[in-house]
Amino acid sequence: MAQLELFLQTLISGFLLGGLYALIALGMALIMGVMRVINLAHGDFMMIAMYIAYWLFTFFGIDPYVSVFIAAPAMFLFGLGIQKYLLTPVMKVDSILPHNQVILTVGLAMVFSNLATVFFTGDYRSTPVSYASSAWYLTDFWKNSPVELSLSMPWTLSFIIAVMITIALWIFLTKTDTGKSIRATSQDLDAALLMGVNVNWVRMVTFGIGLVLVAVAGCLFLPIYYLYPALGKQFTNIGFVIAVIGGMGSTDGAIIGGLILGIFESMTATYIGMGWAPAGRFSIFVAALVFLPGGVASILRKRRLGK
Amino acid sequence: MKRFSAIVSCLFLLSIFAPQAFAQNVLKLGIPLPLTGTNAKFGEIEKKSYEIALGEINAKGGIKGKKVVLEFEDSQGKPEVSRSIVERLIDVKKQPVVFGEYSSSCSKAVAAVAEERKIPYMVVTGATDDITQQNYKYVFRMNPTNAYYATGLMSFLKEVVKPKTIAILYESSDFGTSGAEDMVKQAAKVGIKVLVKEQYEKGAVDFKPILSKVKAAKPDVIYMVSYVMDAALLMRQIKELRIDANLYAGGAAGFAIPEFIQNAKEASELVMTATLWSQQIAYPGSREYAEKYKKMYKDYPSYHGAEAYSALYIIKDVLERAKSWKPDDIRAAFKATNMMTAFGPIKFEDKEGYTNQNFMETLVMQVIKGKHETIWPQKYASAKYVYPIPKWRERK
Repeated sequence: MAQLELFLQTLISGFLLGGLYALIALGMALIMGVMRVINLAHGDFMMIAMYIAYWLFTFFGIDPYVSVFIAAPAMFLFGLGIQKYLLTPVMKVDSILPHNQVILTVGLAMVFSNLATVFFTGDYRSTPVSYASSAWYLTDFWKNSPVELSLSMPWTLSFIIAVMITIALWIFLTKTDTGKSIRATSQDLDAALLMGVNVNWVRMVTFGIGLVLVAVAGCLFLPIYYLYPALGKQFTNIGFVIAVIGGMGSTDGAIIGGLILGIFESMTATYIGMGWAPAGRFSIFVAALVFLPGGVASILRKRRLGK
Repeated sequence: MKRFSAIVSCLFLLSIFAPQAFAQNVLKLGIPLPLTGTNAKFGEIEKKSYEIALGEINAKGGIKGKKVVLEFEDSQGKPEVSRSIVERLIDVKKQPVVFGEYSSSCSKAVAAVAEERKIPYMVVTGATDDITQQNYKYVFRMNPTNAYYATGLMSFLKEVVKPKTIAILYESSDFGTSGAEDMVKQAAKVGIKVLVKEQYEKGAVDFKPILSKVKAAKPDVIYMVSYVMDAALLMRQIKELRIDANLYAGGAAGFAIPEFIQNAKEASELVMTATLWSQQIAYPGSREYAEKYKKMYKDYPSYHGAEAYSALYIIKDVLERAKSWKPDDIRAAFKATNMMTAFGPIKFEDKEGYTNQNFMETLVMQVIKGKHETIWPQKYASAKYVYPIPKWRERK
């Protein structure tokens, strides 16, 4: 029974963690799909959003979950600006290396984390919200339950918001004109151009939305994690690994990839050892590249065609 | 008339001898410290603390009637710079005794010079075991060695908790690994069984998987060696999973600083941690020092500051007891040291392979009502320990 409890509790943790991972990867996959750019500053954008939420909490007592509605629009505008004034001009420059923009994002990542160190110092910060360690317990609802499972309140809340944002994104991409233009650009750039899609505008909006997603992820992470200037790199890595597992640029793939990685990491930690988590993460990254180059998205596509 | 002339002649004599007497009445001591570089923060805490002690000592007449002047020399945290500073202090300035430095590596470099020149050197904060394991005759150390950091906690476990099993969680760094290995050894000595020994990647988001494993193993004690934020996350998730151990203990570092309570909030309540010193400990003078420091610099000092503050008092004590200020007499006075300082009792002993090493009880702090209180050893306690601790379910 204890073994079952351990397994179920691990599964729950993995699922909740995976949901948050998926949200980070979603923005990265969207940008990757539309612009063919790997945004290696993704985690650092998340760090900026977290600082916004942190200062709102410290000075005005605004709950990090409420800050979503302030940080996300702010990051959207920031994204539009970055795309318009930095990424688009760079795209036009000819150079020996084909992926100037990727290099630019690496540069941005360094600039952001170093600026954050200068302005906010290297101190670790967190928002000590009152519900940080609250949880629901199975035995509270079902007295004679043979196993005791717990569900963390902030983690669950973050997970639910992540699901809601994902659904909202899906509706946006499938039902609105702008969303359809984004998908068209992602599927075939030339065709989209021929159909009269303003590709530059679509790119700006996409980058903005990518940052909205990661900003939301940042606000959701703040109550359960903490914040420091160099935090970005870790989450860029995670987002990148998931985007690869999911199939570069596929949003559906990113969601499934996120859940896979979350559950995989939790299972590794319980049954092998937590010190192995980074090694495990990169071995499935390599495995995905070798054995499933199209990622989860290629499986999804096959099934759809089969029907 | 006769009396008047006597006074005048006295004044006259004084005016002739006073400047000379004044020059003789100054004791200049050079202290190597890292004032720039990565360790500068600690160098600064120590410098401020030396200055507080200096002010107090001079206000009460200095050392043997001599006014003390401290000259801080920046070693940049580099052993080679540190060595050359001390060579100059000994060879050129003929300083009879040397003390100071922050890191273990610098302290080691200075110790080698001092031993070679046969000038007594007191290590203030260097903690690496081997500094006092080399049979140096002229090197004394007030800081307990690394291997002794958790002794206070162990004695609390032995006398109060009497656990049979323990789970050890530690971060995968030198600091975490050595702390965990040390605990394994100590546990084996008193017959505590290690049920779980797990390392984790620093900065991890979710500890629940390994914590679930700990929960399934049902250890009596959970011992964690972590830096700042991992400590708070661990306790928060322990509370969330309602892992009911008899005791939650941290190995100093992340658990012993105020940030731990700020971040873990009510999950930090009743958690214990090993530490060398705390600002409310009842050693004579330590609270006064901590308050004075806080008033001047708006923050409580770390234990490094307390060591620096006490170091100058030890030097004063030694120099006043020494028969003469020849190196060998000073060394003899060091050997005979047995005093109480704001940092704790100081006595330099030869035992367990160490020479001239100060062995002191390290302390245990417990978070009681959202504040770190010293609870062990009992004679220095600022509050009575809370044990047994209630189960999470029963806490409000």
